[in-house]
Formats: sequence, C-alpha cells, structure tokens
Amino acid sequence: MKKTILALSVALAGSAVTSTAMAQDDAPIDGNLRIVIGSTSTGGDTYQNSEIVAQELSDKLDMNVKVDAVGATEAFKTLERNDDGNTMMIFHDMSYLGHLYGVRGYDNVFEEFNVGPSIAINPGNAYLVPKDSPYDSFDDIKEAVADGERVRVSIQPGGVSEIGFSAMKNAIRIEHPGAEENLVAVNSGSQSDKNQQMFDGLADVINGSVQSNEQFTRLEEDDQKAMKFIWLTAREDTIKQTLEEGMGETTREELLEYTEPNVTVTQDGEKNFTFDKEFFFIYNKDMDQEIVDYMDEALADIYDEGEIQETQKQSFFIPNFKPSDESREDLKQKMNEYKEIIESIDS
Amino acid sequence: MEFLSALSPLFFLLIAFGVLVGIIFGSIPGMTATMAVAVCLPLTYALDLTNGLALLLGLYVGGITGGMVPAILLKIPGTPSSITTTFDGYPMAKNGEGERALKIGIVASLFGGVFSAILLFLFAPVLSDFAIKFSYVEKFLIIFLALTVIASLSGNMLMGIFSGILGVWLSLIGTYDISDGGNGEIRLMFDFMEPYLESGFSLLPVLIGLFGLGTVLIEAEKGVKKEISSQSLKMSGQAQFSMSVFKGKLTNLIRSSSIGTFVGMLPGVGGSAASVLAYTQEKNFSRDSSQMGKGAPQGIVASESSNNGLTGGALIPLLSLGIPGDSTTAILIGAFTLQGIQVGPLFIGDNLDTWYTMVFALLVANFVMFAIMFFAIKHIAKVVAVPKYILYPIIIMMCVVGAYAINYGIMFDVWTLFMFGIFGYVAHKVGIEIPPLIIGFILGGSAEIYFVKSLESYGDFMIFFTKSPIAMFLWGLIFMSIAFSIYLHIKGRRQQSSEAET
Repeated sequence: MKKTILALSVALAGSAVTSTAMAQDDAPIDGNLRIVIGSTSTGGDTYQNSEIVAQELSDKLDMNVKVDAVGATEAFKTLERNDDGNTMMIFHDMSYLGHLYGVRGYDNVFEEFNVGPSIAINPGNAYLVPKDSPYDSFDDIKEAVADGERVRVSIQPGGVSEIGFSAMKNAIRIEHPGAEENLVAVNSGSQSDKNQQMFDGLADVINGSVQSNEQFTRLEEDDQKAMKFIWLTAREDTIKQTLEEGMGETTREELLEYTEPNVTVTQDGEKNFTFDKEFFFIYNKDMDQEIVDYMDEALADIYDEGEIQETQKQSFFIPNFKPSDESREDLKQKMNEYKEIIESIDS
Repeated sequence: MEFLSALSPLFFLLIAFGVLVGIIFGSIPGMTATMAVAVCLPLTYALDLTNGLALLLGLYVGGITGGMVPAILLKIPGTPSSITTTFDGYPMAKNGEGERALKIGIVASLFGGVFSAILLFLFAPVLSDFAIKFSYVEKFLIIFLALTVIASLSGNMLMGIFSGILGVWLSLIGTYDISDGGNGEIRLMFDFMEPYLESGFSLLPVLIGLFGLGTVLIEAEKGVKKEISSQSLKMSGQAQFSMSVFKGKLTNLIRSSSIGTFVGMLPGVGGSAASVLAYTQEKNFSRDSSQMGKGAPQGIVASESSNNGLTGGALIPLLSLGIPGDSTTAILIGAFTLQGIQVGPLFIGDNLDTWYTMVFALLVANFVMFAIMFFAIKHIAKVVAVPKYILYPIIIMMCVVGAYAINYGIMFDVWTLFMFGIFGYVAHKVGIEIPPLIIGFILGGSAEIYFVKSLESYGDFMIFFTKSPIAMFLWGLIFMSIAFSIYLHIKGRRQQSSEAET
C-alpha cells in the first residue's frame, strides 16, 4: 500500500515539477476547462481516469481543470450547449454502445459530436460465477445451454456490461444454433446489485470487474460471497501491459488465464471477440479544429513525457493515447463490429 | 496500537478542519455532507491515504451533524437525514428552547456516532454477512415500514396518506433509469417536459423548496414585523439544557443508533430512511409519545442518534464488501480508488493499519464534532435572533446556490426549488401535509425499484410474505406500526370529542 501511495505521490508531484506548460497568449482556449463525465460516480473508473488526465492537463495548459461527474444525459446536454472549448467530455465505449442498444439519451456520438483523442483502457471488464458453481469456464456454459439448461447472466443493460453478454450469446448462436435462447439476461443496476443477485441465487453469472471483484475471488468456497472469474473481455495484449503484480493478489499471469486465447468467445466462427473498455474525449460538434489540434498536441506532450503512464498503470489502467483522427477511426470500426454482433443476435 | 505511531498532528488537524467545514456545509440549507465530501475530495490527492481519510471522515461526521442546526432553528433540514429533527426541534426553538434542542441533538449525535463506530470496529464482517441476507424483498419491506410513519405523522390521517402518495408519485416522474436496473423509459410526464425532467426532480431542491422557500413565503405573507423578530429572541429564561433530559432515554438512544447503523449498512435503502424509521419506532414503542411532533426531546434524540449512527453503518458495506452504504460513502470510495487501494471483503485483513486508522478517525471526528458544536452552539443558536427581513433573503440566496450546485450547475434545479417553494406555500393553504409528502418523495424511488425487482426476480406476489423469516418479522413491525397509528388516531378523536362535550 505504501508503495502505491509513494508511486502515486511521486508521479503526481513529479508531473507538477517536470511538465512544461504549453499555455501561450495565442492559445485557442483560455480561462477554465470543465470536463464533464458520463458517470455520476466519483468512485468509478471514469472519474478516476479523468482526474489523472485532468491533473496533467492542468499543468500542461496552465489552467484550472475540473472534473464534474454529471452523468451521461447531462454531460451530452452540456456539451451540446458549449462549443467554445471550455467544456469537454470524457467517457468510454458506452457512448456509442448506448446508441447501438437504443438507450434513451444516446444519439450517434460520431454524428452528433466530435470524438476526440483516446487516453486509456480499463482492462478489468469481467464475468464471474459463484465459486461453487458447476461452471468453471465459458465452455462449460456453452455446453450447459446447448443441453437445454437456462443460464442467467446479471448485467446492466445497454452498454459495456451488455456487450460481453451479447458476444457470449452470439458465440453460442454460431456454435449451437438455437441454444442462445437459453442464455438469458437478468437486468440489474450497480455492481452491488449484481453481486447481490449472485448471493441470492438469482443469477448464475454476473458482469463485474477485476478491480471490484478480485477480493471476492480470494474467499473460501464455503463463503456465500466467494466468486471465480471465467472471462476477462480485454485483449490478451492489453492484459499483458498491466503491471506484473496484477491486481490485489491476482498476478498478471493469473489474469491472462481468463483472456483469449485461453477463453474462446467466437465473433464470427474464426475471430475471437474481445472488448477493451476505452476512455476518450468527446467534443461539441462545432468546436474549432484549432482546439482539437491543441488538445491533441497537449496530450501527445503529456504522454511523451512518460509520467502519466506510471500513474495510470498504478491505478490498473492501460495508457492508450491516440490522437483524434486515429481514435475516431478505430472507435468507429469498433462500433461497426459490435453493431454486427448485436444485429445478428437480434435477428 | 502500532497505527497510532504513524499518526501526525496533521491527522488531527485535518479531522478538526473537516468537521468544521462539514458542520458549515451541513448548516447551510442546500449544502449537504455529500457535497462537502465531493468538494474536498480533490484536496486528498495531495495527502496520503491516512490523512486524506481523516479529512473526509471529519467532513462526513460534521456534515451529517450540521444538518440539525437549520432543522432546529429554521425548520429547514440541512441534510435529508435531518428531516425528522425538524418535527420536534423547531417547536422547541419556537418556545425559546433552541439552544437546549441543539444540545440534546449534539449529545444524541455523539452517542449515535460513537455507538456505530464501535459496532463497525467489532462486528463489520459479521454485520456485512447479515446485510447480504437482505434481498430486494426485504429492502422493499424496510422502505415500506419507513413509509408507514406517514400515517402516524399526519395531523389529518386521510390528508397525510394522500400527501404521502403524492410524494411517491412525484418521485417516480422521470426515467426509470437503467443504472437502477430499469428499462430507461420516461414516464409520468408530457413530451414537452422531457428535456427538463428526464432525470426527474432532484431531492435537494425539492426538500429546500418545500421546507425552506415554502416557509419563507408563508412567513412573508404574515408580514415581517419588528416585534416578531424581537419576540423570537427568547433565548433565556426557558428550560436550560441538562444531561438529566436523557434520563430514561437510553433505550431510545440505543434503539435509534442501532436503526441508524443497520439502515446505513444496507446499500440502496438510503440514509434518510434511518431517521424516519427511528422516529417511527420511538413513537410506536415509547411509553409516552403524545408530545412527539410538538417539541419533545425524545424526537430529537431518535432522529439525531440514528442519523449519526449512519456514519459507521454506511462504512460497514464499504469496508467489508467494497460497496458504499450511502451517497457520501460512495464518494469516499473515490479516495481509495484514487490512491490505488481496493476495497472489498478482504480489505480489513489486508490493510489492518488503514482499518484501525479509519475507526480511530471516526471516533475522534465524533468527539471533535461534540467539542466544536457544544461550545459554539450558544452563538449558533442566536441565528433565530437575526431579524427575519435579513435572515430570509440570506436563506433564499443559500437555497438557490445550493440547488444550483447540487448537480454541478443545472439551472432546472433552481426552477425546481422555486416550483416546490410555491407548491409548499399552496400546500399549506389547502391542507396538504409536507412531512408525509417529503417522506413519500424520498422513499418512493427506492420502493418502486425494490418492488419491481422483487416481482421480476421471483415472479410471485406471495414472495413478499414468504421470502424469509426476516420478511415475516418486518411484516410484524409494519402491522404494529399501522395498528399503532390507527390507535393514536382514534384516541385523538375521542379526546377531541370529549373536550367538545365538556
């Protein structure tokens, strides 16, 4: 614990001392920068990640940067009203998945807004079962549903939590056509709700995360709260970039046991489905291109200096800076792939 | 006791600073403990975890306690969990016993806070295992039990129940959010309202609108006469505070603190339910509750010991399951994640020093709160002496600032404040009762979620009666609470008719 605190303090203090401010008189934005995020939680990964970036930006741009956890609906509304570059948004893949799943308040982010640079990945999106569950892997679940067993998966509908469920359903549809009907979603809200559904025996599988659920996987099997991972949706390459000590007592090597290729969730019969939860900036559609370039440049400098990567990795994020154009193209492609999966199981 | 050697004077200074700022936030209508913790969270980046937690826990304890100040002196709950403090605190302040009422509240708060910190320290893992026995069904029944208070709080039972239902209805306006496990659809509004009411009415603007602005409008109608403001300065000559007021109230203190701790440790039930439940149980089980609602110290004791009992209670699921028990501890979890610390079922064992430090900080914060409040209260109580033509504009300004700030600058929240201020004024004229309405509003959303989720999960209405022995026990309490309200109502009527005859 002390090591972590020390590393974080050194990283934050170091960044304050060494980063060179690039604010100039002719900077395209001045005053304060407000970053609204798509979550209302200040304890979640969106806030944590945004704060790390905000601190660095504050030093680099020599301006006050404030992160406000207003939630997706309010964040999009706020962004629509402000094109002067003093209000920006940070969110993750939910911003387009919400649209694909038809969630109210989610328009096509690529049409209605300007998608900006990517900054990090949270590699922790996971699926878990009770420790005494008869299912030890996704293969066991596939066999069970193919045999007509009903398997209930607790997810929060319409986003990151559901895309893994859709991928599992799609994989079963490809390998055991018709059996996908036996994999059913159980709607829930927060992580606490999902855990509770498992404790109550209302769900056989739950969506969770390495960060939130790792300690539960270390409990004894006779503990009602004990769980085990069956799948981490992140790419193998992404998990390989985490620190060797992994999270809690679960090392990186152990985490890799739950990713592709050790877990196979086919996307189309050939390719494996993976999902990296990426965080990126979203701007007002009419925001000046000069500000977009300015932000790209500032973030590129921050990532070149190399200290933010340390802070992000200590917090179990994978640094993933991509300038706006590259980020937009990659995310669009990602959206199109997931769109196909969702449409195929809907049909 | 190794952890004590790691504590620096800064640790204690930060607790004191946190408590003081928390009290100020809690005392200002429209500012809450949650807001205090949220505003100060970024300050913890520059501190290590121990000192960061000292600051945040100080803010938490100070914020929850500070809520009683406007509740007692102005009839405006500083935080949602101090609603029930207004019921007896304000009548006492009106009788010139404001200082006494505040002191009773402070001692009760200290008891509740320390009681819950001790329970947290001794039984956190056991209690969290008990808390997970409460599924959707049991949580719904707890909220239902808290809702039964509406009947006993009402002046006119029929109007009270109507007001409560109106409150529940108002709370359901907006989206049935997917983050609550809902379908994400909007309901109970016309199309043109959607841009404003997608997220429904926010609790705080509604609360300060009804209690704060509504009261100001009612008073303004009466006219602000000079002699009224001087009359309200009946600070001396009335009953003085003495610890003897707690004689015979140990059961109340222990019961209410236990209820606070218990409700706090149930994620999703909401802190406000704690003081409402404790107040109801005191009304139902005490030997003489006839004065409750008219300025009885026992009401303040129940309300304040339970809402400070929340502080330790809400930390139980946070530190033993990684799940925050209320909205403030949800922000507290940010302090851990920002420092890279995992909270979950193994947190206590893996971080013994941090665990001891937290409990210690919580205890110290409670005593610091007591020291600051108890000795400053004489001066704080003089708020009632401020002429109303000065006080009310300040209250309105603070209400507006609080409403605008609560969701990081949403103007509709200010309009909500005004709408409910006017509604509070009209309600007073037509006989709609505000306390039942606000209790319905606070509990309605959670009641709906747990009711629907119970039916979705078990598919059978009978599950509410047969789910578990806990459910049956809760039904017992619900029936007792309703029966008691009816008994009180009938007794009141008989008294009225016998008085009329004589």
